[in-house]
Amino acid sequence: MEPYISVKNVSHKYPNGVTAIKDINLDIHEGEVVAILGSNGSGKTTLVKHFNGLLKPTKGEITVGTMNTKKERISKLSSQVGYVFQNPNHQTFLPSVRQELAYGCKNLKMAEEDIETRVQKAIDLFQLKERLDDNPFDLNSSQRKEVAMASIMAVSPKVIVLDEPTTGQDHKGCKRVLELVRMFKREGHIVVLITHDMHLIGELNCRTVVMNQSEKIADDHASVVFSDKGIMEEAGLQPPQITQFANQITSFDETKTYLTVESIIEWMKANKEEDVKVGTGS
Amino acid sequence: MNSLYMPKDSLIHSLDPRTKMLFVVFVVASSFILNDPALQLVFLVALFPLVVLAKVVKPYLISIQFLLLFAVLIMTVHGIYNPIGVTPVFEIFGGLTFKYESMVYASVMSFRILVIGTAAVLFVMTTHPSDMASALVKWKVPHSFAFILLSTFQIIPIIAREAKIVMEAQQARCLDVKGSLIQRVKNLVPMFAPLFIITFMKVHQLSYVLECRAFSRKGEKTSLRETKIGSLDYTFLLGMLGFLAFEIYLKLFMMGSLQLTTDALLTYSLFGTWIVFGFMIIKFVVKQFQGKIGGAN
Ligand SMILES: Nc1ncnc2c1ncn2[C@@H]1O[C@H](COP(=O)(O)OP(=O)(O)OP(=O)(O)O)[C@@H](O)[C@H]1O
Ligand SMILES: [Mg+2]
Repeated sequence: MEPYISVKNVSHKYPNGVTAIKDINLDIHEGEVVAILGSNGSGKTTLVKHFNGLLKPTKGEITVGTMNTKKERISKLSSQVGYVFQNPNHQTFLPSVRQELAYGCKNLKMAEEDIETRVQKAIDLFQLKERLDDNPFDLNSSQRKEVAMASIMAVSPKVIVLDEPTTGQDHKGCKRVLELVRMFKREGHIVVLITHDMHLIGELNCRTVVMNQSEKIADDHASVVFSDKGIMEEAGLQPPQITQFANQITSFDETKTYLTVESIIEWMKANKEEDVKVGTGS
Repeated sequence: MNSLYMPKDSLIHSLDPRTKMLFVVFVVASSFILNDPALQLVFLVALFPLVVLAKVVKPYLISIQFLLLFAVLIMTVHGIYNPIGVTPVFEIFGGLTFKYESMVYASVMSFRILVIGTAAVLFVMTTHPSDMASALVKWKVPHSFAFILLSTFQIIPIIAREAKIVMEAQQARCLDVKGSLIQRVKNLVPMFAPLFIITFMKVHQLSYVLECRAFSRKGEKTSLRETKIGSLDYTFLLGMLGFLAFEIYLKLFMMGSLQLTTDALLTYSLFGTWIVFGFMIIKFVVKQFQGKIGGAN
């Protein structure tokens, strides 16, 4: 199958001379959820800003659908690749949630009834019916972030990019993000998320790309990446605690990487609890 | 990136901010004393070695470009249309004539902008904002006033950076920033609304941060960065004073016999600004073109 986003040998050098990404190759297919991991300054944001054309590759090529990002307008690319910024204050500014939801469609000069159906769909998906007339600035930070997400989704882009969606969110907010990502996937969107939240990736159990010093050093399923000690160490990452725990219990199935508490409980139910033995770690 | 200040190791950098402030005052005064195009041109050229000495030639040339834009406009429009002109100097296509008196007027004005601009750029690029604030405090300027000045200098680059993020964030909401002129004017709302809100939030936060660090405490305050007036400063000040005296002498006793301004000088300086301006436009167009072709750099 043809990938939806295809990144070929892409490098980006900022005007100040910093090469923030180097020779990146990456294919993202329909229906995928891709997490991008890496330490601060490793080039994650720079990479995803190429998907909607905010940055153009200084070397290499990126195709989104049938569009070459170098040749398309950002507004057109943005109708296919929705990018939710880390700080919703940069993106939302209208006095009501309803106006906020319609804004992107209006920029694309859609027909009035078309806008109406799309806004309605976003309202249903995000359960925003009661908040429609609220001012986004009166909402708390996780609600505001959700409004920002909803207003990007109202355009119904094929791809949705989330830059650190759980940073600064309380437990409820983080859980909501997890729910939303699953919902986006169910609705047939491609989700690309940048995060430092290993727990979130464990729960999503998704493809994981690891960036380190401007280069892509791993690209595989989370369970494979998390069990690769070399990669994890190089990128300065720690798998979720539950994975670390499972790695030290030799009696667990060593060919498997446990990403969630549920998967461990499942294993325990399948094998009797007294069979669990503590070893020296692996 | 945090302000226009260029940290370099130079003679000008090591001068006390107070000396440099006096220097700016001196330049402004001089630019009014020497209200003759030729003398101002000489003065402008004479300032350039200081820019070289401060090791900020490249950033200086970049920022002075904008002032040159004004100079071109003033010299061209005033030169032709200012009603004080009576003596025609030369004619360009369409029967538009540049007149001597108006050209003198326009040149004085635009050279003054360039001269003052040069001094201001020199000051800002070679003076650490904190040094400026502590120097002001030494002049008995109230501490909070000095801080207001200081934070204005520092907040401009912050706002510029936020503006860039907001612009990208709005483009991600399908805003077409390359639309028609009307569209662009309309776009100011989605650009400035978030920017204002964010700036207010930042300023608000700043006030809390300041209070947490006992900003409004009464009494004497010490400064991390101390500034001292040394022999270099005295030399510089003396030089300025000498120059000022010379200027006044020139103005009072020599103006009758000294007539440096000629038709040729005015014409050449007009052409000069046009040519430099032309180069700027060519450079801009080439850059745009390269961008279209596909970022050849
Ligand atoms: N606009 C810019 N101009 C110049 N350099 C930049 C710019 N934006 C980022 N950089 C540099 O590029 C490198 C990668 O930055 P990037 O923002 O992509 O990292 P990141 O992985 O998203 O980090 P973080 O986890 O902190 O968000 C960093 O060294 C950064 O300083
Ligand atoms: Mg980032």
